[in-house]
Amino acid sequence: MVSNSNINNVKTKTIGEIFSKDPKIICRNVDVFYGEKQAIKDVSIDIASREIISFIGPSGCGKSTFLRCLNRMNDTIDTCKVKGSISLDKEDIYDEKIDVVTLRAKIGMVFQKPNPFPKSIYENVAYGPKIHGLSSSKEELDFIVENSLKDSGLWEEVKDRLQSPGTGLSGGQQQRLCIARAIAVSPEIILMDEPCSALDPIATAKIEELINQLGKNYSIVIVTHSMQQAARISQRTAYFHLGELIEVGETKKIFTMPEDKQTEAYISGRIG
Amino acid sequence: MNKNNSKMLTADEASKIVASSVIRRRKKNARLKTYGRIAIGLAVSFLIFLFVSIFSKGIPGFFQYYVTLDVFLDRDRLDPKGDLSPESLYNGDARSIVLESLYKVIKPKGRKEKKAAKKIISSNADVRISKMVLDDPNILGKIIPITFAVDDDIDSFLRGYIKRETPSSERRINDKVIKFVDKLSAENKISYKFSDYILTGSASRSPEIAGIKGAFIGSMLTLAVCFIIAFPLGVATAVYLEEFAPKNKITEIIEVNINNLAAVPSVVFGILGLAIFIGIFGMPRSIPLLGGMVLALMTLPTIIISSRAAIRAVPPSIKDAAYGIGASKLQTIFHHVLPLAMPGMLTGTIIGMAQALGETAPLLMIGMVAFIVDIPGGVTDPGTVLPVQIFMWADFAERMFIQKTSSAIIVLLVFLILMNAAAVILRKKLERRW
Ligand SMILES: Nc1ncnc2c1ncn2[C@@H]1O[C@H](COP(=O)(O)OP(=O)(O)O)[C@@H](O)[C@H]1O
Ligand SMILES: [Mg+2]
Repeated sequence: MVSNSNINNVKTKTIGEIFSKDPKIICRNVDVFYGEKQAIKDVSIDIASREIISFIGPSGCGKSTFLRCLNRMNDTIDTCKVKGSISLDKEDIYDEKIDVVTLRAKIGMVFQKPNPFPKSIYENVAYGPKIHGLSSSKEELDFIVENSLKDSGLWEEVKDRLQSPGTGLSGGQQQRLCIARAIAVSPEIILMDEPCSALDPIATAKIEELINQLGKNYSIVIVTHSMQQAARISQRTAYFHLGELIEVGETKKIFTMPEDKQTEAYISGRIG
Repeated sequence: MNKNNSKMLTADEASKIVASSVIRRRKKNARLKTYGRIAIGLAVSFLIFLFVSIFSKGIPGFFQYYVTLDVFLDRDRLDPKGDLSPESLYNGDARSIVLESLYKVIKPKGRKEKKAAKKIISSNADVRISKMVLDDPNILGKIIPITFAVDDDIDSFLRGYIKRETPSSERRINDKVIKFVDKLSAENKISYKFSDYILTGSASRSPEIAGIKGAFIGSMLTLAVCFIIAFPLGVATAVYLEEFAPKNKITEIIEVNINNLAAVPSVVFGILGLAIFIGIFGMPRSIPLLGGMVLALMTLPTIIISSRAAIRAVPPSIKDAAYGIGASKLQTIFHHVLPLAMPGMLTGTIIGMAQALGETAPLLMIGMVAFIVDIPGGVTDPGTVLPVQIFMWADFAERMFIQKTSSAIIVLLVFLILMNAAAVILRKKLERRW
């Protein structure tokens, strides 16, 4: 447990409001190293319930790295070491007692490149509920699959071909399938790492609309290289630079009156 | 170009230089293509030569000469005890019954001619009669035409390998025998047809009745043992090395050694098997179980290397997807990595098994070269394998064994081709695009 008293008197260089009233995830003084190389430097931030927050910044600044800390995906990289504390509902997720399997069931993830399993559409969505034992019958599983596909806006397009391969869909459909797969296990938070960067504008618009919808029920952390996208979909925006969290605040404020010079330089297109 | 007054070329000058170099490059391309074609042409012609020579020698080996005789199956002489038991039939007088039927046709006069006549029919004729009687006792007491293989020397004579013109003293068969064979031919008693023995007979010193069945079954049993041991072990090793092993000096050494093992001459594995399995564990020699174990040692590196490559080829994005949704490491491996890697692993395994199928040297070391007439009924019965059988036959002097050697090689080749085709088909079938 992270004690409540010192949670909000953390020393940080970050400009803006890193705290939330209703924090879901609390990150304090997070450092990440790949071997000797430090990729994230002393980042502290809260992520609130049911908020959409975007991470922006030049490529290589550590957005993905930080995002992957939140569901411990970095565990799969041998050289990666995470320091500091990250807690979900006030429980340290890097605690030895925490099982990454249950953690990742609570914090879903959508990747940059759509990566459906080379299985049927149905199997793709049903896989998570199956391995976590979320359904006790075929009917329940069918229900979960249908609902997840509906929530991801894919149902109408694929309901007649649930048994055809997920890899046969278009890029945008594949990405929505991946979103359906993530929400099929009823997570509380969804992490998205540049989910639209491999998609055309129309597919992107659909995903953005979907993210807006999902924001009502989930906390969403989205990494994006498109500032317009961040402006369109997120309530808060965090600007990263060279592994540091430079500035965080309401999206509108970040894009109209950033306090930091680097942030301003980035959003006006001078860094990037 | 002169260094001192170097300047940028004009577009015109540049395109001239490029144009002249294009011709040179094209010539180089053409030359390389020609070399490539010559190399392929050479390889293909060697292959054609190999196949033509093996098939032209081996196909006749699948056929042999037979003589058909009307045999009176005398009940009292064939089945002295009268109980139709194999022992009783074995004690019976089938051999002389066959000879008498033969004498009726060729009518030998005197002891010398009878002695010559005895050389015509394969010594296996009595076994054939016993078998027929066992299969259908109703034929006892009747006169029926039965076809017997002729002795291998007669076979070679009929094929023209033993020539009539050769002086009698230098031939393996004398003039009397030739006279009898001519007589049989004249009466249409001799026929040339698909061999009853090559595919279904087992090892024998008489070439006309020798077949590959024993060796073939031995090969299958050996391969089965090899697969059952090597495939799970190889895949497990590959999974461990790729997914679990920490990257340190020890795993590096293990890796290098596995790669080296793949290049170790196979006979060394035979010596290893001899020393460990026979020497230390005291396993019996010559059995397919032992052969399979030795071949498993030999194929393991191949399987491990190809399985690792197949596992590495699984896109990391699929693993990310599985981990991202909360699959454990084991679930990720068993649900996603292994199914995707399976075609590659199976291809490697089949290629390893095909190597093992053709392997001779290590099996010689562990005594699978013994002369074994019985067809092995299980992995603990002594047996031999196809390539060793080929090796043994190639060593025999009789003309007919030379043909049978080529026939056995054809069977082996057909199997290798089938296995490789299976590998290709498996890969095509299981391969998925992602
Ligand atoms: N697996 C890895 N091993 C070593 N260094 C890495 C690895 N992944 C990312 N990095 C490094 O960490 C830094 C941050 O990378 P990343 O988080 O991917 O940036 P972003 O997503 O903002 O473009 C980069 O300098 C990158 O080179
Ligand atoms: Mg990134």
